[in-house]
Amino acid sequence: MRIGLQPKRTNILVHLILLPAAFAIAAPFFWILTTAFKDRTEVFSAIPRWLPGHLVLSNFAEAWAMVPFGAYYWNTVVVCFGLLAVQLVTVTLAAYAFARMKFRGNDTLFLMFLMQLMIAPQSIFVPNYLTISSLGLLDTRLAIMAPYFASAFGVFLMRQAFKSMPSELEEAALIDGCSGLQFLWRIAVPLARPSMLAFSLVSITHHWNEFFWPLLVTDTSRARTLTIGIGLFAQSAEGGAEWTLLMAATLIAVGPLIVLFLLFQRHFINSFVQSGLKG
Amino acid sequence: MKSSTRGVTRLVCAGLLAVLMIACVASPTGARSVSLKFYYPVQVAGPLAKVIEGMVTSFNREHPDIRVEAVYSGSYNETMQKAQTAVMSKNPPDVAVLLAIDILTLVGMDAVVPLDSYIARDKGYIDDFYPGFMENSQWGGHVWSIPFQRSTPLMYYNKDAFREAGLDPNKPPKTWDELLAYSQRLTKRDAAGNVTRWGLSIVTDDTWIIQAFILQNGGQYCNLEGTKTYFDTPESIGALQFWVDLANKYQVMPRHRFYGDAAADFVAGKNVIMLNSTGSLSFVRNSATFDFGVAPLPRHKQEAVPTGGGNFYVFKGLPKEREEAAWTFIKWMTSPERVAEWSIASGYIPVRRSAFDVPAMKEYVQRFPEALVARDQLQVAKREMALNNNQQIRETLLTALAQALDGKLSAEEALKRAQAEADRILRPWNR
Repeated sequence: MRIGLQPKRTNILVHLILLPAAFAIAAPFFWILTTAFKDRTEVFSAIPRWLPGHLVLSNFAEAWAMVPFGAYYWNTVVVCFGLLAVQLVTVTLAAYAFARMKFRGNDTLFLMFLMQLMIAPQSIFVPNYLTISSLGLLDTRLAIMAPYFASAFGVFLMRQAFKSMPSELEEAALIDGCSGLQFLWRIAVPLARPSMLAFSLVSITHHWNEFFWPLLVTDTSRARTLTIGIGLFAQSAEGGAEWTLLMAATLIAVGPLIVLFLLFQRHFINSFVQSGLKG
Repeated sequence: MKSSTRGVTRLVCAGLLAVLMIACVASPTGARSVSLKFYYPVQVAGPLAKVIEGMVTSFNREHPDIRVEAVYSGSYNETMQKAQTAVMSKNPPDVAVLLAIDILTLVGMDAVVPLDSYIARDKGYIDDFYPGFMENSQWGGHVWSIPFQRSTPLMYYNKDAFREAGLDPNKPPKTWDELLAYSQRLTKRDAAGNVTRWGLSIVTDDTWIIQAFILQNGGQYCNLEGTKTYFDTPESIGALQFWVDLANKYQVMPRHRFYGDAAADFVAGKNVIMLNSTGSLSFVRNSATFDFGVAPLPRHKQEAVPTGGGNFYVFKGLPKEREEAAWTFIKWMTSPERVAEWSIASGYIPVRRSAFDVPAMKEYVQRFPEALVARDQLQVAKREMALNNNQQIRETLLTALAQALDGKLSAEEALKRAQAEADRILRPWNR
């Protein structure tokens, strides 16, 4: 009640907290942006400079020339969205079964499924590699996607969404002549959209950022993704990283994602609010 | 409203599936008589990948019957993991540049072939390589790898800061005692006693440069067979004690630094003397805005440094003609011209003597005589620590260094524990 009576003071208080937080989040992006335009000697000045002395555009040209960003971009997009398309199908069907169907061992099976979350993906890289290799899929985009076709996290999230729907809804649909799959497609899936969107964001960010698995199973620009292109600049342990090139490459790699996020920001936030799930 | 949402959802799903199908269509590969897969790490600077790819392109142009495909494979560690995984699935690369000290691991898992029969064809070839680099390439009476990107530790110093402190910029410290005295003079503190500029910076977060100090103190870290460590000897303990004193008693160097951080600090003027890899040379030259010099590492009981870096390995189980082609490729990549080109681009030490007769190298050395310091230091270079289960023992030693530098344990106690742990790890090889 009191809060409602003093909107101004609360506003100031909220802003006092939010402004530093916003600054803390924005600063690294700003730093990426300015470093990408700096001269390489400027990066190492003893007193850090926020803005470049003069704009150096050659970093972008140099970074662009070193890595086939066009091909890597296409590969990354295909891997992330292709994988997501498959995951949405497998995850929705599995979650529906676990949430709505009664069969023997339902809960046990679900628990076993959840155990997948406890296994670090790195620990099964070698067996996965052997499988991919014997399927003859090495150096393809499918090789990067295949191990992730089923997602325990996604099943868990969607199962929660389906469980929270009142059973009256399904009963009503059944009376109206809806089959199970029809109910899923026409009623449950549209209602679970916020959860699907949340899962999609998690999946895309995770696979967009993945480095070692793609490095392991791919050799050429036929299938390699953006992270490997960036790794070329970042992993020069003995010499000290090429910060200006690295930041230019980073900007090339994440720029479109940031623009996309800014464009759809309101939409994303709305669906998170609906699903009650925070980023 | 509702039906339009559904339409959009369908459209998106269909689009995504189409994308996936395109992704699944494998693209065909062009073939020449022999194709080789070559894994390489990029360890010193990103643009060097371009240099490697350029060299491979030239090789392919000059050898129409062989086609080498250069595959960037991350850092040394990641390249090693990629190669090991590929070997396990019976799909090894043909050639790879991996750490020279991974020799025991690679021979142990039966992944690589000895190169003696190829070397024997051309007597002058192998003798041209610096002996300091060949030591880590041999084991059990065979040569298993050919040096390619090799380094030693080097002392870098800021001449401008020397002048400012009244020190002769052409007389860098030559002994441990001088190193300490200079560092004390060059360290700057503010009124509250906080360090604003370190006199000295050593790469303490790796196990490489401590090996130099152990050798200089008259010690040794492991036996030739790679089955025994000597971490708890007075020489080894003395070397680490010197580091602990520099960091904690005299407070002239930071406790923790890795290669890249130390080099970035150096070019920013945040430290004055830096002990780092020769691999930093190109980076420092391109980034420093002041006058700098390089010198051999200071001596104590003797002058000595370990070598480091990566060699060419040929993998086991290749058809004869591919193994032949792999050797042709290695010989070409280690020809004097290529060695000179690679050294000039990277800052690595040329691995063979005749590279210094190449005109481009002569011209480079004239312009940049610092490049010779590392070569001259090679006369006192020793084999780097190479053990069975090397990675695990390096971790053990690294823990000991951190415990001592952070003051959690004395240098003696930390190294005694590391020795006990190493003994345990090496037990299977000492039965």
